[in-house]
Amino acid sequence: MFATLLKRELMLARRNWVGILIPLFFFVMVVSLFPFAVSPEAEFLQQIAAGVVWVAALLSVLLSLDMFYRSDYQDGSLEQLLIMASPTQVALSKVTAHWLVTGLPLVLMSPVLAGLMHLNYSPDANVATSHTAVMMLSLLLGTPTMCLLGAIGMSLSLAASRNGMLVAVMILPLYVPILIFGSAVITASLTNSGYNAQLAILGAILLFALVLTPFAAGRALKVAVS
Amino acid sequence: MGSNNSNLEVKGLTISRNEQILLEDIDLAFKAGTISHLIGENGAGKTSLMRALAGLLSLDSGEVFWNSLKSNHPEANFSKVLLFLAHNLAMKHELSIAENLQFYSALRGKRASTSDIQQVATELHIESLLDRNFAELSAGQQHKVSLCRLKLEQTKLWILDEPFVNLDAQTRDWLSQQLMSFANNGGVVIFTSHQAIEGLKIHQRVSLSHQQEVSA
Amino acid sequence: MANASKSFGRWFHQLGSPKWFYQKSAKWLPWLWIATAVLLAFGLYYSLFASPVDYQQGNSVRIMYIHVPAAALSMVGYLAMAICAVIGMVWKMKMSFMAMRAIAPVGALFTFICLFTGSLWGIPTWGTWWEWDARMTSELVLLFLYLGFIALHSSFNDRSKADNAAAILALVGAINIPIIYGSVKWWNTLHQAYSVTKKGAIAPEMQTPLFIMIAGFYLLFAIMVIIRLRLEIMNREAKSKWLQEVIS
Repeated sequence: MFATLLKRELMLARRNWVGILIPLFFFVMVVSLFPFAVSPEAEFLQQIAAGVVWVAALLSVLLSLDMFYRSDYQDGSLEQLLIMASPTQVALSKVTAHWLVTGLPLVLMSPVLAGLMHLNYSPDANVATSHTAVMMLSLLLGTPTMCLLGAIGMSLSLAASRNGMLVAVMILPLYVPILIFGSAVITASLTNSGYNAQLAILGAILLFALVLTPFAAGRALKVAVS
Repeated sequence: MGSNNSNLEVKGLTISRNEQILLEDIDLAFKAGTISHLIGENGAGKTSLMRALAGLLSLDSGEVFWNSLKSNHPEANFSKVLLFLAHNLAMKHELSIAENLQFYSALRGKRASTSDIQQVATELHIESLLDRNFAELSAGQQHKVSLCRLKLEQTKLWILDEPFVNLDAQTRDWLSQQLMSFANNGGVVIFTSHQAIEGLKIHQRVSLSHQQEVSA
Repeated sequence: MANASKSFGRWFHQLGSPKWFYQKSAKWLPWLWIATAVLLAFGLYYSLFASPVDYQQGNSVRIMYIHVPAAALSMVGYLAMAICAVIGMVWKMKMSFMAMRAIAPVGALFTFICLFTGSLWGIPTWGTWWEWDARMTSELVLLFLYLGFIALHSSFNDRSKADNAAAILALVGAINIPIIYGSVKWWNTLHQAYSVTKKGAIAPEMQTPLFIMIAGFYLLFAIMVIIRLRLEIMNREAKSKWLQEVIS
């Protein structure tokens, strides 16, 4: 049943491919604004790269939530899904599709942004650095958690009379821990100190979220259609 | 009453919207092989009752039973048994008719074959449109697509909210036929309709009126 | 034992009745006001005049007697909200949801007081009104959580939907608070080590007035929640007969 649900989500996403590219464009554009706003100096950009990339990823995940939930709510499909499948499964299928279609591409796109932000800059041109790989790893562990928490916020706001900003206001405070550890991973790599512990914590948060949030998001979907 | 009989029962049902009680302490029974027509003016709570029966609306009190088991009991298997067609057609605009119908039947556990879909579509004269996207169809055609689900999904209980509205005479007759043959095979039909349907044999009329009026 | 659980059951049931609560709380309020006034007057006198001056911070330490109780209540408030959310969801108790809704703005207010007094305290201590101190940052995130809850709850036309949705958010928030607090603390040690509330035993002459103030704040919090809850009941039960009789 989960496979059927997931297949449908992915099929819908494929038909909406422009909608899927928009969060990616957004991701790139937001990051590329920073050199204009602060300074194009490599050393300086490298310092803020971790934070900028992570915040941009957070925002684009939040902005892309809408299309996975809103239209199903509006055309009545969500009711049908909840009648025929368990709410937890419905929520999990949406989260999985959302991550596969926006989270994963964000991770894959991030090296480009790392380049824009001179993340791999090193005063000694002969020394190769692995900061970009570390950043990808941190995003790989962080983006699923963003999708999971976002699912709760989105589901809760479906039936609300105002939305859009509402999801952000509810969910952004919950993103604080992963933001802290996610960018700390990159910062640790930049200062050549160990980052395994931070990665492990990101992973632990992901597992914790994976266990609890689909249930909460499922309940939230039930409330939305009630 | 045999245990194979499919019965929907409601005991002590109370539902409210916005602090306003719509239905209070209602007992209803819908027996296997019957067609029930819900009657009531707009706002009397017909749609709410249907949504409550379908398990979408949370009840203030009361229970819904399917075959003497609570409808949310796993063994009642209610989600497999129930087909609920609401006002909005619950079809995705970016998918073709066939894809939409296949998805719902697959979710029931048995994916409808192309020939099955072809057959129902032919009965409703939309067979040439199967590969079109749902968005490209006219409102009437879209409605017909959602009616195809009745024949493609193996269920025992149909809850249909205004299924006859905006249908041409031919499709109306087709739908009446479907309801009657479904009931003859032991199914339970509950539907709402503002107009009387010619040729449809109705076993039970359930009239809902405003239960709670505050100003006395 | 059986008797005790029975009487608890009855008490729990009565608490679930808006009518019972509305009528009883009218009798509680004056007593609560008196107790609060006495505690706060005594506590304020004690903390502002009778307690010693901190050898490092001077008189500015007296802000602590407002700041710390407000901080305590800001967290207790969120916890209480989450507990109300669970009770409301499990037992479908409307009163519990009303209490949850009533606590939210009061909790947010206490969080704001905590942040405000913390900033005031920061001016002489840190030389700036905002420092990314771990506790202050956590309080800020807590304020955001409260505001998110209030924003969600007031975005629905249907109250019962609002209750159910906001209850889920309160619960998710409550589970997240320890994680947020832990991560902010870790992040803070990474960057700097400013802290208003230094570890170590607090002088006993300061402890007593602090405890009195905390007790006073608890009562003040309770009063404000009860008043808001009564308003909430008036709003929601406006059409019920008993309320119309009580008012007229």
